[in-house]
Amino acid sequence: MNEEHPDDCGCQEYNELSRRQFLTTSAVGASAAFFPAWLPKIVMSKAYASNRDVIVSIFMRGGADGLSLCVPFADPNYYTSRSSIAIPRPDSTSTAKGVNLDGFFMFPQAMTGGAAGTGGLMPAFQAQDLLVVHATGQLNNSRSHFDAQRYMEVGKPVDPTLVTGWLGRHLASIPPLNPTAPLRALGVASGLQKTLVGAPKTLPIADPTNYSIGGSATTQAQRLAFMQSDYAAAEEPLHSAALDATNTVNLLKTVNFTGYKPANAVVYPTSSFGRALRSVAVLIKSDVGIEAAQVDIGGWDTHSGQDPIAGSMFKTMQDFSNSLAAFYADVISTGYNVTLVAVSEFGRNVRENGSQGTDHGRGTVMFAMGKGISGGRVLTKNWPGLAREQQDSGQDLKVTVDYKDILAEIVQNRLGNSNLGFVFPTWTPTMLGVTR
Amino acid sequence: MATSSPTTPESPAPSDATTNEARRSRRSFVFFGALAASALLPKAGSAQGREKRRKQPVAEPASDSTTSEFATVRQNESAAAFAEWDSTLGRVVRRASYGATAAEVAKANQLGFQGYINYQLNYTRINDDVVENAVAQRWPLISQSSDALFSADSGTLRSQLQEATIYRAAFSQRQLYHRMVEFWSDHFNQDYDKVGYLLAADQRDVIRKYALGKFPDLLKASAHSASMMVYLDQNASRNTAPNQNYAREIMELHTLGVDGGYTQNDVAELSRVLTGWTVQGRGTFVFNPAIHDWGAKTVLGVTIPASPASTGAAGINEGEKMLDVLVNHPSTARFISTKMLRWLLDPNPSETQISAIASVYKATGGDIKAMVRAILNDAWLAAAPMKLKRPFHFLASSLRSTMPTITTMSTYNNQLNNLGQPLFSWDTPDGYPDKVEYWAGNIVPRWNYANVASTFNSQTTVIVDTTAYRAGSPDAAVDLIDQNFFGGEMPAATRTALLTYVKAGTFNDTRVREAIGLAISANAFQWY
Repeated sequence: MNEEHPDDCGCQEYNELSRRQFLTTSAVGASAAFFPAWLPKIVMSKAYASNRDVIVSIFMRGGADGLSLCVPFADPNYYTSRSSIAIPRPDSTSTAKGVNLDGFFMFPQAMTGGAAGTGGLMPAFQAQDLLVVHATGQLNNSRSHFDAQRYMEVGKPVDPTLVTGWLGRHLASIPPLNPTAPLRALGVASGLQKTLVGAPKTLPIADPTNYSIGGSATTQAQRLAFMQSDYAAAEEPLHSAALDATNTVNLLKTVNFTGYKPANAVVYPTSSFGRALRSVAVLIKSDVGIEAAQVDIGGWDTHSGQDPIAGSMFKTMQDFSNSLAAFYADVISTGYNVTLVAVSEFGRNVRENGSQGTDHGRGTVMFAMGKGISGGRVLTKNWPGLAREQQDSGQDLKVTVDYKDILAEIVQNRLGNSNLGFVFPTWTPTMLGVTR
Repeated sequence: MATSSPTTPESPAPSDATTNEARRSRRSFVFFGALAASALLPKAGSAQGREKRRKQPVAEPASDSTTSEFATVRQNESAAAFAEWDSTLGRVVRRASYGATAAEVAKANQLGFQGYINYQLNYTRINDDVVENAVAQRWPLISQSSDALFSADSGTLRSQLQEATIYRAAFSQRQLYHRMVEFWSDHFNQDYDKVGYLLAADQRDVIRKYALGKFPDLLKASAHSASMMVYLDQNASRNTAPNQNYAREIMELHTLGVDGGYTQNDVAELSRVLTGWTVQGRGTFVFNPAIHDWGAKTVLGVTIPASPASTGAAGINEGEKMLDVLVNHPSTARFISTKMLRWLLDPNPSETQISAIASVYKATGGDIKAMVRAILNDAWLAAAPMKLKRPFHFLASSLRSTMPTITTMSTYNNQLNNLGQPLFSWDTPDGYPDKVEYWAGNIVPRWNYANVASTFNSQTTVIVDTTAYRAGSPDAAVDLIDQNFFGGEMPAATRTALLTYVKAGTFNDTRVREAIGLAISANAFQWY
């Protein structure tokens, strides 16, 4: 929370409501316009493919250390900066050595299912369906988790008048994949992540496998009817939430989560992240009209005892990698039109601190996965280097690729939405060949 | 041993005046008409409304140069209150408590507006023995020292902390105090998964001790809390490589605010000042001169000259001096005032309000009571929008309204987990959000809980007694629901719908419980 930021005022947006919109809503209070206002200037994207991808957006909360997730082992300054937490080179004799990707970068064993390098993210990488982008992040240099996350999720830094998320605006500016779908997107969380704010027919659902109002089956319809009527005059955003919720309760009743058998005999990790991706897989395969899911994974704020070889960050990376690997084998490798992206608000200092950890930094990695992703490589825009004089503020990996360039290309080419100026206001993206 | 929900010995019975007033309000045809009419209008958020707008002719795509004109969403945190919520006392009780039951409103009625606020603020004078004795008996671990808790079962201690916190919020007579305990628990948030048993001491010796004290005392107690040192890695910081985690968050989240005028260099320098602030043994805060950075530093323009290592234990004074700088900083006055206004009054406080409360902060040396008293004035309350209850608040409200006999508090603790706000489990230092757009979508778990909670009827877990609701007519049952769940200010439309529901089936225990479930599910029960 950034208490000094008037990010909830929405005054600007309020002022910019069209006259027509204002007249429609003023009768019940102008506040009722929580949902995207279909202003005359917004045009539904026409040039979308009917087979456009579903997007699974992952936020690695806490500032993930890109230098451990995808290690530039050929940059000698990596080893001098990280005396106690460096991962040994792939050509070393250490049992903890990394798995070579391209002669410069390597994955730690946490990401490859062990030393053999045949598990974890390696199948997706080798099938060229996984792209790693390095020295990426945001140009805004905030080292506050909460500001940096907000800027990244909103898709524009600093602007207090913009409160919607980039994914919310994407969904708000493209017709639904399935016009009758009661739920277009979900955040697998107890509260809606900022990334999705502004999306129509979108709810936070912490556990899609248990989404009901319970009670007697005989009176359930009557009770739902009471709710629909009682919330009919509710203030936004509760009104829309209640409407979407009642419809979604009925929808999810028809989905068999418990009996789901993933493809390729995949077993998802039982972690909350693994279970979340499993639920998303079920929803995608159920073809109920879900177009986007936002899933979070925490544990990246490694100020102390980072230990990417066997300790806390090893476990977080392993959970991340194994869950993505399961989703890849179950959903993406089997031909579903899905693109997955994973971002983090910033990276960590190049040099480790006194507690075998790393403090808040700048550049990090992001991941994109899908049949439509030009993967099998680590994308950099000239590796900025880790020598002191090459660092941002003398302490961090520089950000050379703005994360919005990666997302914008995916939004346009995989999600079929050409309204990039709306999804990423004031940003002119550079296409880097992220998609096939 | 089953413990009944504590009664309220010092609260008078609801007066006839209150009841009559509520009834008049309820029957006001003007209000009913207004609500009914508005319900018929198309809502912007309805599927129908969206479809209609979608068919509107639209212009060509805007060029990039005009993207700044794109409006998207009117973020609404200014929900106008229900027409029935028109009483001064109802307004202050809803803000100062975890639920405006008839009993609480009657208490306010007896004491008067300012009398009620003063009564709640002078919380140590409120006899809360019934609740505190129950807490001491049922959750004995939480009052023990860190040294003793070191070997306690971690899961048991976590549950005891969570359950006692829910119990106090629901049943303590010191309602406003516990609302502020919740506020500061988020302000100085810590995750039990990281700090474990140390949290019990932080809750007791920092948060509950100073929740209505002076902010400088609260901040300093937090800075000397072993739990906080561990949570934000201050215990891992040393002169050779300072850890910036605590130094950053004490400025960003605890005092100045992210726009409070500090720089990354201030973070780095303050982290050097604080080296040596650490933890020893089983949760004892110490200053360790051996790992302190004795060089000169400058934080927020304040220079701390270099000192010899022989200064020893007095090196802590560098950090103490900086704590004084922080609590006396104008940004802190504004930041704390803004956050308290958002908590107690309005998600979007005005500049006038922020300045006024910041002035109180400055004039009183950060006296939290004085700030609360200034915030809870009738004029501001009358103009303030409703706020959405967070899950913890919602659950505590339901307990105050149903007054269950609780054998297993874990029943409710597990439910709070399902509702999405397990206590002491938010892992980042900003604390649970207090934003309507964050929580609004999570409505189905509330409805699910309402159903479950209304059916509790087991000697071995929880009993919600419905005898009183079944004693008279369906009308009387709904009247009683109005009193217990809405303090006599249930919206007319909800009352009508609820009565219709009760009458639509056989008037028996099952039907009454469903009606209670619907009351907890109702729109009006989600707001305060």
